[in-house]
Amino acid sequence: MKDWLMRLMDFVAPSGSEAPVVQALLDDVREAADETWVDALGNGMARKRGHGPLLLLAAHVDEPGVMVIDIDPRGYLRLVSVGEVHARECVGRQVRFINGATGLVHADPAKQGDLDFDALVVDVGARSREDAERIAPIGTAGAVEVPVVTWGQSLVTGRALDNRLGCAVAAEVFRKLAASGRNVCVAFTAQNAVGARAAQAAAFQLEPRYALVMDGASADDMWHDHPAIGLGKGPVLKVMDRATVVPLEGKRAVEDAALRLNLPLQYEVSREAWSDTGAIQLARAGCVAVALGYPVRRAGAFAMTADLSDAERLVDLAVATAEAWLG
Amino acid sequence: MLLKELTEAFGPTGFEDEVRGIVRRELDAMGLSVRTDVLGNVIASAGAHRPGLRVMLDAHMDEVGLMVTHIGEGRDEGGLLRFRPLGGVDPRVLVSKPVVVGERRIPGVIGAKPVHLQEASEREKPIPMEKLYIDIGARDAEDARRHVKPGDPVVFATKYEELPHRMAKAKSFDDRVGCYILLEALRRWKGDLAVFAAFTVQEEIGLRGAHAAAYQIEPDIAIALEGTVAHDVVDTPSHGQSTVVGKGPAITVQDAQTVANRRFAEFLWETAKARNIPVQWRRVKGGSNDFGAIHRIGKGVLGGAISVPVRYIHAPTQVVSLDDVMHAVDLVVAVLDEIAKGGFRP
Repeated sequence: MKDWLMRLMDFVAPSGSEAPVVQALLDDVREAADETWVDALGNGMARKRGHGPLLLLAAHVDEPGVMVIDIDPRGYLRLVSVGEVHARECVGRQVRFINGATGLVHADPAKQGDLDFDALVVDVGARSREDAERIAPIGTAGAVEVPVVTWGQSLVTGRALDNRLGCAVAAEVFRKLAASGRNVCVAFTAQNAVGARAAQAAAFQLEPRYALVMDGASADDMWHDHPAIGLGKGPVLKVMDRATVVPLEGKRAVEDAALRLNLPLQYEVSREAWSDTGAIQLARAGCVAVALGYPVRRAGAFAMTADLSDAERLVDLAVATAEAWLG
Repeated sequence: MLLKELTEAFGPTGFEDEVRGIVRRELDAMGLSVRTDVLGNVIASAGAHRPGLRVMLDAHMDEVGLMVTHIGEGRDEGGLLRFRPLGGVDPRVLVSKPVVVGERRIPGVIGAKPVHLQEASEREKPIPMEKLYIDIGARDAEDARRHVKPGDPVVFATKYEELPHRMAKAKSFDDRVGCYILLEALRRWKGDLAVFAAFTVQEEIGLRGAHAAAYQIEPDIAIALEGTVAHDVVDTPSHGQSTVVGKGPAITVQDAQTVANRRFAEFLWETAKARNIPVQWRRVKGGSNDFGAIHRIGKGVLGGAISVPVRYIHAPTQVVSLDDVMHAVDLVVAVLDEIAKGGFRP
């Protein structure tokens, strides 16, 4: 899983610019699927028809980033955020744009206090506005560059781990369930980081009875001896966020599966997250939607850390939960 | 003149009847199939049963305004009307502005303490909305109640006028200019395509009408036609302008509710360039339009927005370039032509 994850993390895919990574993921599941397609909002979908009710596996592919919104006469770019991004986190960093261009972010030294995006310019080595328009035209999205580093066998730190790791998990679970003849589909969803805008359209098209959503869960083990969520301590059941509460039927299915597999289970209650889960749960007449996670230090930020052993156990947990639902 | 009639019509959010009347009259005259849905959206179609792509064009009929919350009692404020905003209204633009109250158009003025009577501290900051009131010349509360009830909507009393250099001023260019562009484009366009026009209600308080309109139309492609913010005036650097009046309709790359489909945005841009229609990018993330609601409906909808730059948007007197308006009509017609010819495949 590690090499595949590293390849997925190399795609720059801010919300709305997911097409290349979506294609890579669909290529990865195509052999196991009856059909694959990309919808109007950029969700990548694969479906395998089988017996029993339909299960949707979902994982968002996008990441927060920046977008060129203006270019000044001297050829410096102005940025806006894509999703929740703090301007101060961009200062002094390299931005890699989706077209391959690289820029360096500068902050106006006259601006005091908490910076906003108006205080930033990006140097892309342009000598004029026309030059810059050719290198990174208005509307070009990018992400702050962070090199990927592995620590030992299972720890990975870098950009876009949240949620390329969830995509890798969802793809693996899809292949396993498809191989055992289950009625299953997977959605690699777009536009999550800007407020879970596309997942509902995916669920609308697929009309699942059950949904399992894979996403990063915010770990706090950097700061506490007894953290709520820690790396290497197993998969996470997402009980509640701003968009959803786990249905009791789903919570019990996950807990029973964890017990059968003798897996540790951590619980997340988030006050911040707007997950795809809530959007999927409420598509059409509704479905039983449960979110499962893997612990991530600095989830949702530019640079983050996860433990692959948690993701491997998450695959087992998701498969066992699905098998209990689908019979 | 249709743009004058549309901008002077009374149509704050939730009270779009007058605008709807004008829109329906124009659509009927074109012989289109027209209906009004349960929320008050007007939906017209041309070639609805043609196979192939279903294209939705959207403009909202409502404008920002105010709503009377109560009528002042007692010796000091008897007969003065207190209000809250309908949509995003900056309290700093309200003082001393003439308004009309209710669909009977009772004239009034938003009053405030004269400068002579203000404490030094009061002069330093804008008067908050709770301290403002509408004076309709009533003698007392009982007199006011004969003309006005709580819940009555209020709009600015601005008349449409043309300014030099093909500019015009009016209230409610946001989004009567979109309604105008949509009507004129429908009048001009002839072709083989299923086209649906939605004139929506309640955009200014959360894109509410467009949601139901898109649900009914089930479009493959949708384009919102809007008036959008322009601040191309003194002391504003390029990245603070958003759009420039007179430089043509603006195309969105990202706003508060939408990340543009890049391929479609470039299709709009190239279509304009190919026909020598001036066009500019909308260079701001703030603000939104009906496409923010439309694109999330059903299986998801591809599309974007074409907006006319409006100076002093959401204020009593807004300014546009009539050339921008005509170029926006040209662009909408050109885009329909291109889609009908198969020039854009979702």
